Amino acid sequence: MSTVTPDSLKTNFLPTWCPGCGDFGIWMALRDALANLRIGSDDGLIVYGIGCHGNMHDWVNMYAIRALHGRTLPVAQGAKLVNHKLPVVIISGDGDCLGEGGNHFIHAAKRNPDLTVFIHNNEVYGLTTGQASPTAQAGFKTKSTPEGAVDEPVNPLTLAIASGATFVARGFAGDMQGLSALMKTAIEHKGFSVVDILQPCVTFDKVHTYQWYRQRVYKLETIPENKIKALEKAMEWGDRIPLGVFYKENKPTSEDRESALADKPLVDLPLTIENLEGLLNEFY
Amino acid sequence: MDSVTWKIGGEAGFGIMASGTMLCRTFSRAGYHVMATNDYPSLIRGGHNFITVRIATEEFASMNRDVHILVALNYESVEKHKEELMDGSLVIFDPKDGEWKEGDFQKKVKLLPVPFREIVGKFTADPVMRNTVALGVTVALLGAPFERLSSVITDQFKKKGEEVVKQNLTIAKAGYDFPSEKSFVLGPSKKKERLLVINGSEAVGVGAVRAGLKFAAIYPMTPINALITFLADHAKNLKLVYKQPEDEIAGINMAVGASIAGVRSMVATSGGGFALMVEGLSFAGVVEAPLVIDMGMRVGPATGMPTYTEQGELQFVIHAGHGEFPRIILAPSDIGEAYSLTVDAFNLADRYQVPVFVLTDKYLNESQWSLPQSALSGSVEIDRGKLFSSDSKNSNGEFKRYSLDVSDGISPRSFPGMKKGLYHADSYEHDEVGHVTEDTSMRTKMSLKRLKKLEAMKKDMKAPKIVGDSEAEITFVSWGSSKGPILEAMKLLAAKGKKTRLIHFSWLFPFPAEEATKLLSPVTRLIDVEQNATGQLASLIREHTGILIKEKILKFDGRPFYPEEIVEKL
Repeated sequence: MSTVTPDSLKTNFLPTWCPGCGDFGIWMALRDALANLRIGSDDGLIVYGIGCHGNMHDWVNMYAIRALHGRTLPVAQGAKLVNHKLPVVIISGDGDCLGEGGNHFIHAAKRNPDLTVFIHNNEVYGLTTGQASPTAQAGFKTKSTPEGAVDEPVNPLTLAIASGATFVARGFAGDMQGLSALMKTAIEHKGFSVVDILQPCVTFDKVHTYQWYRQRVYKLETIPENKIKALEKAMEWGDRIPLGVFYKENKPTSEDRESALADKPLVDLPLTIENLEGLLNEFY
Repeated sequence: MDSVTWKIGGEAGFGIMASGTMLCRTFSRAGYHVMATNDYPSLIRGGHNFITVRIATEEFASMNRDVHILVALNYESVEKHKEELMDGSLVIFDPKDGEWKEGDFQKKVKLLPVPFREIVGKFTADPVMRNTVALGVTVALLGAPFERLSSVITDQFKKKGEEVVKQNLTIAKAGYDFPSEKSFVLGPSKKKERLLVINGSEAVGVGAVRAGLKFAAIYPMTPINALITFLADHAKNLKLVYKQPEDEIAGINMAVGASIAGVRSMVATSGGGFALMVEGLSFAGVVEAPLVIDMGMRVGPATGMPTYTEQGELQFVIHAGHGEFPRIILAPSDIGEAYSLTVDAFNLADRYQVPVFVLTDKYLNESQWSLPQSALSGSVEIDRGKLFSSDSKNSNGEFKRYSLDVSDGISPRSFPGMKKGLYHADSYEHDEVGHVTEDTSMRTKMSLKRLKKLEAMKKDMKAPKIVGDSEAEITFVSWGSSKGPILEAMKLLAAKGKKTRLIHFSWLFPFPAEEATKLLSPVTRLIDVEQNATGQLASLIREHTGILIKEKILKFDGRPFYPEEIVEKL
């Protein structure tokens, strides 16, 4: 059996992200985390959204679905319920996951499927050349908000915690090693894991640069002990921005609660009905 | 009598629907052919609800308009249905609701006042059980033994405990003993085989699970809710997952995810829910994921009349989805096809790796029909289409999921987790492995690959069904559930000496243009019969054959066709 390395999880295509894009760090960290978990090209499924993040689809050598914009989570839940032994990871963005797919995010968190979603959070829509995303800070000037964003931003962490996600963390694209370790822990967690990843957009965001983040980020020493404390930490933003695990809880997953999955994955079950007579009898 | 039509009306919450089911079973178990249609507003309590049951000694195809027995559980039920009565019809009502005299009706009806409330009051304080009295009265009038009703009541209430069964039996018996004479006594049934009573949604459900359905994500919506109940009730014993999604967008995307992961999956909805699924349909189209969509039509536009029937979405489902990709559309014409075309839909979806529609409607989905058990228990052939096998050798280690080297456009698929089956299911235009492409030549080839399937599908598409006389002076053209009322209308016309014929399309898309041209072009008088305002099948025929059908009988008031109406409109 061939060993899994970050390089073996690379395709022959060269990334087309802007030089210096935060997506490079996330791409490297993801392959590093998957290799550390010994999840090889044939062993897992990655579901990508649409946005700059989604272009990673062509540069990771693993079973993939690139869903429609905003629809990663329903697609991933469907696949996971069919084959719950298969590791399923989601690469999504702030616009994809919290704008177009906001409702799916809340409901996925509520169900707690054993999925891990990595949100590339750069406050802008990069692929459409720089409009404000749902996480754009109020006052942030973009192509769609020339006077500065008038709305308050969505906080992915508080939304995830309040909606029922059982693992909620934040990483930074500028810290490949720290991010890789966080991604590994998130994938290992059994339940719905959300990792908000701060990702500088070097082309459309001249405010939130690597340097801007580096001056502010710090690592949480311990995991806050309950939801209220986790929410308090998750609301910290400004001069100091915490990274790490904000909330963790063990709960039965969406798949645990499906009695049909008790034995084998659905994909391995026979298609025939054992007691047809009994089934039809209810219509007599 | 060889056919009796019975109607019961009252407020929602009176157990009107349940009494229709129980009456159907009372007679179907004795070999009679039955059918029940419901009519109710979109609310839970109050309003005017009614259910109509037809019981006959021989097989029949639809409900008829003329009512023999009207049971009114409130004042409105008499007033609203007065005009459907014939000379000799019997009106059963509680004198507490109104003091009707025979002269109050246009036709020469007979009146049978039954003190429903007083009878129920002797046994319980719950006035809801008036429907049980009505059942007892009805079964007695029709001349059937009480034991037939009592076995159905026992089965119906078993789950609720012995007390409930006993009380219902006592009250039904009191109703049964009430009439002093019989009327509309049915002739003996020609019992041949065991009959079931099932609604359209349930028949789709049985078809789906027999075809090996493993995953369904369905957001509640009239008229497909009975399918949800059926799948949710059986998820455990049949080992399948029914998931209630947050919306229809999630529903179709879950189902596509499930399909890519390797099982047979489906969604079900109505027009408004399908509007939300349109984007996901296009996704299924480009990643070539098999998917079955039970699309239960109801009255639109928008929220429309949610609990009423229409055939307004044929052109919608043909054209739905951005971009060009193949699909198959089947429209069951009766309860048997609701089952059999659903089985076909799953096989076609896998064989061609396309979305397949089972286009049903409220009338078919929520009406109950008797059907021989054998129609649902025959052997089912399962064809999963072209699948990748881990043993198959791939050139340079790459599996070409979207191989262009296939004459029919269908390339084998693998499921995530299969060794050496790695591919990418990409919503972007993609190359043979599934990587994004914007190359002119690859885009053209990939688009043609998908559309080639339309040609390949033709060999599976069945020709329209022809019923009736080739010498006919009138040829009806129809699709979907309109078939039943037309067949019954044809019987009425035959009795008047008029020769008619029906050309009926259950396999609608890809449209069988050659067959249709052959069948339709020699006909001198074609009449298109549809439940919509614009004649959508007629447009489809015009588009694909050039044949213009000038005469149309269209109905779009939310109620199914009555055979009598079709005859009158000629």
